[in-house]
Amino acid sequence: MIDPDQHFHLAPKRNAEFFTPENQLKKKVGTGGLSENILNKAQALLEDNTIDFRPLGEMYLESIMKGILSVEENGKTSNKEDAFASILFPTVQLKANGGMFHYPLITRIADRLIQFLEVLEDLDTEALEIIKAFHTTIRAILLGQIKGDGGQRGDDLLKALVEACYRYFEKFPDRKRE
Amino acid sequence: MTYAFDRLRILVVEDNNPMLEICKTLLITFGVGEVISAKNGDDGYKIFCKENPDIVLADWMMNPTDGISLTRRIRNDASCPNHYVPIILMTGFSEKKRVVQARDAGVTEFLVKPFTARDLYKRVAQIIERPRQFVRSEDFFGPDRRRKADESFKGTYKRETDIKQMQNQKERMKEASLHMGELRQKAGLSKGDKISFGIDDIDFS
Repeated sequence: MIDPDQHFHLAPKRNAEFFTPENQLKKKVGTGGLSENILNKAQALLEDNTIDFRPLGEMYLESIMKGILSVEENGKTSNKEDAFASILFPTVQLKANGGMFHYPLITRIADRLIQFLEVLEDLDTEALEIIKAFHTTIRAILLGQIKGDGGQRGDDLLKALVEACYRYFEKFPDRKRE
Repeated sequence: MTYAFDRLRILVVEDNNPMLEICKTLLITFGVGEVISAKNGDDGYKIFCKENPDIVLADWMMNPTDGISLTRRIRNDASCPNHYVPIILMTGFSEKKRVVQARDAGVTEFLVKPFTARDLYKRVAQIIERPRQFVRSEDFFGPDRRRKADESFKGTYKRETDIKQMQNQKERMKEASLHMGELRQKAGLSKGDKISFGIDDIDFS
């Protein structure tokens, strides 16, 4: 049936049913939250973990390099989304896990690479050069076992990489995804 | 008095072994009674069906089945024992479009990695204290994607239920205004004084 209040340029009204399931969890756990003592203990266990991130980090870096080489070899013939995914997904893993295992600088740098990849229109030669620079930097941090935020040197490295991304988009403003 | 987390059973689905161990350690330190684990979305779904845990904590990126596919399966597969189970999705993604993607799959909470013990706790507490209502529309089943009414929202309300809610609210406002004089009198207020009915959000920070 036609709704007389419906405008032509608007999407049709959608029907939605709402359910409020019984809060079984609340019934089970009761009230009161967790004590500061427990939360501090959990945080201390997290910070004191002795897991060596290097083998995992190396594996993700290798995946990124495979992705770069595949794009360089296959160029325009490769599926664009797959090509992006082959570089983006291991980068996300580096960002996610670096900070969990004492390498917050890797998290910061990988985060900026993700931001670059998420708005990049195409994996062209110039973009791949920037991605390689990110890769080299992260590898150096891992090999040098630079734990923590890397201090001033860490800030400088990150700044140089971010500036390279800005220069890229200044030079090629049409290569930015909306 | 603290939460009786010992009554909880949580399924952690994570393909990265060190990360899986960290999640298990944190949950056990919180006092969770049982932490079950799975290595990917496929195994996760099988274990979920068998164990029917209270909460699912899943990673996004896993092979062959990722956390998004696992979420869709839990929400929509007829064989699932509990379509309403709260799902916390862990990921390194933090861009808005990724959050929207996870939300549209039916994820309850989003936990960005790297995270702290408190971040994880906040998500669990949020699920307990502020559970979301569920919505079924033509193309979605899952937790209501709108956390709360956005006063700054200027767009069109498209759902039939929104229209009904707005009409009901108008009616209630009309009714309430009829009793304002009586309320003011009881509270000892004069006509210019404001009466606030606002309820603040619970803040876990």
